[in-house]
Amino acid sequence: MATIARDHRASRAHVGSEVGAYLRHLDYLLIAAVAGVITYGIWVLTAVTRNDVPGDPTYFVSRQEVYIAVGAALAAVTAAISPEIYRRYAKALYALTVTLLLLVLVVGDDVRGSKRWIEFGSFRFQPSEIGKVLLILFLAAFVANRARSDSPWKTVWGAVGLAALPMLLVFKEPDFGSTLIYGSALLAVLFFGGLPWKHLATLAIVTALIALSVLWFLPSAGMEVLDAYQKDRLIGFVHPDVDPSGTTYNVNQSITAVGSGGLDGRGVAGASQTNMNYLPEHNTDFIFSSLAEQRGFLGAAILLMLYAFIAWRGIKIVAIAPSLYTSAVAGAIVFSFLFQIFVNVGMTVGIAPVTGIPLPFVSFGGSSMITTMLMIGLLEAIHVRGRLAGRR
Amino acid sequence: MEEPYRVTPQAAIRIAILGVVAVTIFCVLFFRLWALQVISGERYLEVAKNNQVRTFRAPAPRGSIIDRNGVVLVSNKPGTAVQLWPAAFDQATPERQAFVLHRLASLLKIPYREIRGDIAARKDDLLTPITIKENVPEDKISYLLEHQNDFPGVQVNQTYQRHYDQGGIAAQTLGYVSEISQQQLDAAKGKDYAGGDRIGQTGIEAAYDTYLRGLPGIGRVFVDALGRVTSARQFQQLPEAGDNVRLTIDADLQKTAEDALKYGIALAHEDGKWAADGGAVVAMDPRSGEILALASNPSFDPSIYTGRVNTKDLKKLADPTANHPTLDRAVAGLYPPGSTFKPVTALAALETGVLSPTELIQCTPKEVVDGQTFTNWDPYANEPMTLTTALAASCDTYFYQVALRFYERTDSPLQKWARTMGFGAATGIDIGPEATGLIPTPAWRRHYFKTEIDKIWTSGDSVQLGIGQGDVLVTPLQMTRFYAMLANGGKLVEPHIVKSVEEPATPGQPPVVLQPYSPKPAKDVGLNPNNIRVVQEGLYDATHANYGTASGIFGSFPVQIAGKTGTAEKFVHLPGYQGLQDQAWWCGYGPYAKPTLAVCAMIENGGHGGVVAAPVALQVFQKFFHVDPSSFSASVGNSD
Repeated sequence: MATIARDHRASRAHVGSEVGAYLRHLDYLLIAAVAGVITYGIWVLTAVTRNDVPGDPTYFVSRQEVYIAVGAALAAVTAAISPEIYRRYAKALYALTVTLLLLVLVVGDDVRGSKRWIEFGSFRFQPSEIGKVLLILFLAAFVANRARSDSPWKTVWGAVGLAALPMLLVFKEPDFGSTLIYGSALLAVLFFGGLPWKHLATLAIVTALIALSVLWFLPSAGMEVLDAYQKDRLIGFVHPDVDPSGTTYNVNQSITAVGSGGLDGRGVAGASQTNMNYLPEHNTDFIFSSLAEQRGFLGAAILLMLYAFIAWRGIKIVAIAPSLYTSAVAGAIVFSFLFQIFVNVGMTVGIAPVTGIPLPFVSFGGSSMITTMLMIGLLEAIHVRGRLAGRR
Repeated sequence: MEEPYRVTPQAAIRIAILGVVAVTIFCVLFFRLWALQVISGERYLEVAKNNQVRTFRAPAPRGSIIDRNGVVLVSNKPGTAVQLWPAAFDQATPERQAFVLHRLASLLKIPYREIRGDIAARKDDLLTPITIKENVPEDKISYLLEHQNDFPGVQVNQTYQRHYDQGGIAAQTLGYVSEISQQQLDAAKGKDYAGGDRIGQTGIEAAYDTYLRGLPGIGRVFVDALGRVTSARQFQQLPEAGDNVRLTIDADLQKTAEDALKYGIALAHEDGKWAADGGAVVAMDPRSGEILALASNPSFDPSIYTGRVNTKDLKKLADPTANHPTLDRAVAGLYPPGSTFKPVTALAALETGVLSPTELIQCTPKEVVDGQTFTNWDPYANEPMTLTTALAASCDTYFYQVALRFYERTDSPLQKWARTMGFGAATGIDIGPEATGLIPTPAWRRHYFKTEIDKIWTSGDSVQLGIGQGDVLVTPLQMTRFYAMLANGGKLVEPHIVKSVEEPATPGQPPVVLQPYSPKPAKDVGLNPNNIRVVQEGLYDATHANYGTASGIFGSFPVQIAGKTGTAEKFVHLPGYQGLQDQAWWCGYGPYAKPTLAVCAMIENGGHGGVVAAPVALQVFQKFFHVDPSSFSASVGNSD
């Protein structure tokens, strides 16, 4: 009843002082860090994409700025809303997620062999991105609601079953990267939802078995689960020198770009890997390679340190979250944030498979930017509620 | 109802674990970045630089080859070449590579396997473009340019091709140009050659390659990941056109000589000499050694080497039935000289003092030497002769007896004089490869043969050598130089075929000579002028006296020609036949009083020199001296 009581108290208080308390309890360090990353990201995107659209050096940046503005507004709104609301409407959120993901398979735009976008007039939107937040919200609700259940097994398999449908839909697009992020969010929710170690360990083993069967057992029995290109990428990640021209070409070019950046980078004009288009997708998935080429180790380190700072603030928010539900949400957000950074940056330096996961706040793309901003808004909302509940 | 949430110790551990995961992730990324960027940064920088820039070589227009009067023999025709850049092509998947090559093969009408072979041959050199085809029609070029994305690594470049303005004349002399081979590349290390360069392979093209080739342009272009050029070509060194080479050859005379050879072979066939299948003509200025015509039959069309070489054509050239058309018989063909060698014997005998010009020796139908019978070509001859008569009538038995006088000497004076007069060694002509020939000596016999009986130099060997038979071998060029020596009064000239190297011609401007060819000065071989005169008289009688072997041909020719016939037996191997065949010779010069042209004509297996070789030489003289064919009558009379 604590939440409702708090809400009740708030409704009695003076509106002005409530807003004041709210503002007082925002995590300004997190906001500053995010603002820093976004500013840095704009700077990076400007330099990387200035030659991409002939005659319009700000083509990508000007659009990205719009996304940031939209994202900031939505984040502010999210921060103001009590996260408990989402818990109440978890079923609706789940239905929304599945509907959107089904919709994209039906009416989605086919871009390079995958259906990931739904078009609204001139605005294109990627349901699998927003799905990341929605998935966390309803999975956390499911787990938190069953926290006192006598059967943690039912909780685990229930959550897995709930997550399986969106994961399958995203996998069908195909968007292997998002599938992985969904999986990471599921694990994080279960982890921070307080599931016993024994169950988590069992789940980990089952996950490993599934991975093995997808890659090995089923194909050897004549059932191909992954598309050839997805498998190539996973295998290519293990043996980058097997086929330098085909699958791993992108990775090798990316490693070359990163390596050639050296300590302080080759500058914007000198970054030939980026400028000559050797780097594929250098405004989205491989933007980190371009950054590392243009600004070197120092430029890359600044970005990673800003990320680390955000992660630190995020972990603090997990700790001060006012409820199991918000704790699970915050934990899943932070974990999937870290997961995205690791898989994306790791991909560009050859220590993670190529999966098409965007780099948070830096990769060009509205859906990803807005989704990540929403996650920050959620963290702020949780922070404010945690502080209001007297937590430090 | 839910209890107020508290961070349990268990939850605290999990949060700590998240912290550890975060720290681990960032540490891993930092270490990896440090390793890539700071530790291996230099290496990757190098890779990145090689990625984007391609150096290219732009072939320079090759110099022209012109005749002594400026008539263009070989020039350049600009054309477009479709090339493949292996570095870019290699980045495509094997399936795509195969697909692209199949499309290219059908577009350019080249067998797929040939292209594959070319690529395989160059697998160690990814940075030099492979020329797939030259002279590609305009519509196909524009198709390729419009579909660049479908043809990764394929590019279109400007090239120059050899163009033979006078048709196929002097093919062996001019030689041909083709892509440098790996062996040549290895041999030319340090010189300015690179894979894909086209270099002269034979003849003038090879011997004067350094002048003709010019300086290739070197530059670079920027390319993107698909190998598409993204910048203009930037030259670090502009191509410099090659220099022209002016030959001593006279294109008209060359043409005449080649036609005359064909005529000579036809004459031989008419005469029943079925095996006549080739020959050579050399026309030389006896004063300077300048070669005015150098013909060799059979010949070939040098344009088969331009563009993409068709292996079928090359096979045809190499087939034994084609009778080695690429061999320059004038320079590298070896034949026994037969009676054309008699002046050598005569001069050696006079100089050595074993013979006097006025001495009479009986010319008999046959001569028995140490039990072995040697016949005269004319079985009815039986009269005493002086040297001039013996030369004119080409009496074999006369020369047998002279040769036996040499046999009695231990110091091989005939061989020594033969060598002094240029036999048995290369003449030093500026194209090659040149054959040296053979002047057999007792020492050579001992060294060359295996069995004791063969190692012995017999009187028969001396007798044979005396009339240019047996083991002696000469090239038509050596023979011509010898007759030039007779013509110029005893000086051995250095034969040469290049007059000068000139700057690329500017229309309307006189040619600028960069480097004249400076032959070694003619060497006086130390002959007594009286002895030369005796031999000259003999050669004059041979073309004018009623007993002369070629009087029927040259007797009424308005310009006085002196010369000697020769019919030399040679053991030949022909497809489906081997046996003795007569090699028909005629060598001589004119005008007799002040010679300006020395000519040798030789027809392989052509039979009698007076029947088939002398008429060939006659046509060359006729052209050279602009003689109206109706102003004299030539008929085949005596023969040898």
